[in-house]
Amino acid sequence: MSRPRDFLGWLENRSDSLSPIVVKEVRQLVRAREFMYSFGASLVAGLMVASFGAGDALTGKGTSGSWTFAALMGCLAFLGLAVVPLGAFSALRNERMEQTLELITLTALSPRRVVIGKLLTQGVKLATLFAAMAPFIAMSFVLGGIDFVTILVSILVLFLWSVWACALCLCLSTLFKARAMSVLVFGAGGVVLFVILSMAGNLFMLARRGGVSGPVVFGAATGSGSWMTLAIATSFCLASMANLVFLAENRLSLPSENRVTPLRTGFLVQFLLIAAWTLTSINGPAADRSGAVTALGIFGGLHLGMVAIFTVTEDLVVSRRAFLHMKSTSRWRWLLAMFRPGGGRGAVYVLAQMAVLLFAAWMLGADRFKVRWLVAVCGYVCFFTGAPVFFFRLLRPARAASLQLRVAVMALVLASVLLPDILYYLLWRPDVFDLKYSARHLLNPFRTLANWPLVETRAWFSVPVALGLTGLLAYLGVIFTGMGMAGQPATIDPDGSGATAGEPGSAHVLY
Amino acid sequence: MLELEGLVRHFDGVRAVDGVSFSVERGKVLGFIGPNGAGKTTTMRILATLDTPQSGDARIGGYSVVDDPEKVRRITGFMPDYAGVYVNTTVTEYLDFFARAHDLRGEARRKAVSNIIEFMGIGDLRDRNVESLSKGLKQRVALGRALIHDPQMLILDEPAANLDPRARIEFRTLIRELAADGKTVLLSSHILTELSEICDSVTVIEKGHILATGTVQDILEGIRSRRILSVRLAGQNDGAERFLLEQPGVLNVHEAGGHLQFEFGGGDDDQVDLIRRLLAAGFPVLEFSAHSAGLEDLFIEITEGQVQ
Repeated sequence: MSRPRDFLGWLENRSDSLSPIVVKEVRQLVRAREFMYSFGASLVAGLMVASFGAGDALTGKGTSGSWTFAALMGCLAFLGLAVVPLGAFSALRNERMEQTLELITLTALSPRRVVIGKLLTQGVKLATLFAAMAPFIAMSFVLGGIDFVTILVSILVLFLWSVWACALCLCLSTLFKARAMSVLVFGAGGVVLFVILSMAGNLFMLARRGGVSGPVVFGAATGSGSWMTLAIATSFCLASMANLVFLAENRLSLPSENRVTPLRTGFLVQFLLIAAWTLTSINGPAADRSGAVTALGIFGGLHLGMVAIFTVTEDLVVSRRAFLHMKSTSRWRWLLAMFRPGGGRGAVYVLAQMAVLLFAAWMLGADRFKVRWLVAVCGYVCFFTGAPVFFFRLLRPARAASLQLRVAVMALVLASVLLPDILYYLLWRPDVFDLKYSARHLLNPFRTLANWPLVETRAWFSVPVALGLTGLLAYLGVIFTGMGMAGQPATIDPDGSGATAGEPGSAHVLY
Repeated sequence: MLELEGLVRHFDGVRAVDGVSFSVERGKVLGFIGPNGAGKTTTMRILATLDTPQSGDARIGGYSVVDDPEKVRRITGFMPDYAGVYVNTTVTEYLDFFARAHDLRGEARRKAVSNIIEFMGIGDLRDRNVESLSKGLKQRVALGRALIHDPQMLILDEPAANLDPRARIEFRTLIRELAADGKTVLLSSHILTELSEICDSVTVIEKGHILATGTVQDILEGIRSRRILSVRLAGQNDGAERFLLEQPGVLNVHEAGGHLQFEFGGGDDDQVDLIRRLLAAGFPVLEFSAHSAGLEDLFIEITEGQVQ
């Protein structure tokens, strides 16, 4: 047998260790017109930029490597943050439209393996496009004005965020079945990408200058600030990318599966990362520690709020399949309880993270003012996610499906933001409509927490305390209601209107 | 091999599948028939683990489709009523992908692909793009895909829908070969004559309910109180129609294509007596036959042709 055939046979055998999705998609990729066009276009763009850079260098007016590299990065950013993610969006969506995703579901490939396979394919696509640009980027280094570390770090950062953008698009493509909604979601995704593009530009400039205040390039940066920023951004990127994969997996899984545990684990890691990064200031000066507590309250609070909307509103009854899987005999099962679905465990999960938040603040030596602010953050999260859920479950238990509960939470948040000003205008008819923060805005969590010093000086504590306590009691109510339902799986409902054997609440077809 | 027990599935208050129960033994072919919207596809999707029942359960090879969908998938091949093909993919690559997706590795994977290509008789197509194939050939490749992991149970939703007469005959042979190989097959079809030739038994479903299960003849005999008989006389039928109407158990005598056709409420012995009486009365009987009921008669007889 000839050597090339031996080599191909060897490659074929090695491909067994790759994801089947990657093998299939790479085979399709090399024949796809779209990829040929983008590969060709990137080569042409790289060649043109490099030619201009070389021409500029020949004038002898200075080094042209810096702007050549910036222009090449612009081209790569367009490909990595717009073109390839667009492909990722349609990759999974087309599988759903053509119903081939159903055929994959029937195989041994789990939804997670499918999503990871799709993501890895985008990684291969990106690596190929980046490799096509590599000779031109090397040329920018030769032209001078830019150091090797800056080039390396910038490319790695751009690559990572490009993969992240692909993960985001994969996740978005799983959200809706209808074409119109998909287009709408992708439009919104486009805006997000635009923001990310701006962020990438800023990051590049940051890297170029060696941090916000640093005067030198990345590689020669004397301060650790830029590296710290990079480490934070990278860890956030990796953690949120994993969560995007889990979210897409969640959307592709059958409702009867346990779709909660990976997401809970992923989002806890993300929250612990937020806490860990703020704790790096633990030995710093008081101002740094105070800033860290503020960052913890803002990012941690936003994270908790978002997570609580989805976890506290989840169905209390679990499917029979999930219930059977949860019957673990491990002596650590009580520790794992909050990562499992149903039974009000979502509320326990949020409360546990709130405890971590307050503990991290205590470690940072937060003063009483900051502690009260953090408690208020937790109190508002509890109230706005706990109260509507508990009362809905109490008053309309038959209609308390996750979707309805989430709508109720969002409606309450919206009402608390808009109603105080609307009612004030309608009831008091003021001559001058004053929108400055005042006592009537205490219901608005965003404005109250942003104006906390004013709440402290005027001692407007009664409303936040009342809301927080109501929220905490509602959380406890949800937990106790859930505990009562946690002992058995969803039962057969003869009318089919409520909980079912296959899935809790209303049933959905998979795709 | 396959057992369904009180399967229920609703869509927006409509009971698409309402307490469906039946079973199929290993190596048997069961035809699943019913009008459009009767619940056939929903039942098949539940069996294929693409959907979950609201109550009840189904077991394939002893595994529950609700509790052990992964194990069910390992022993089940499902061919839906669409081909589900990829662009820029050859037939070999298409089958290779599904072999990989079923965790077949190395030599086992290559062997599975080549065996299926040989079994399905698609050797000439191995390097053709799947999307460029005709509907019938796509159907054949799709059946190959469903068989790639050598499942014990095959669920085929309208498998003969896009096939020409020749392909249908070949398909029939394939199904019989698979059954002879010990595979259990559940297939639905609108082409009822097709089913009667392939299936060991049939299950009739309408409005989500099972109306009858068994062999075609068993079901017909079970549901019909009267058999349809036909007499052809040499020469004119003068007086024969009146004579038949006077006989016990005979109803609705009418002429159809030179035959006298009528419903008869008696059993086999009564039928023998009737023939004797006809001959004794001097009627020149040229032919006497019982109307051979097909699946279409059964279908019309049992169902009301209504959908939900």
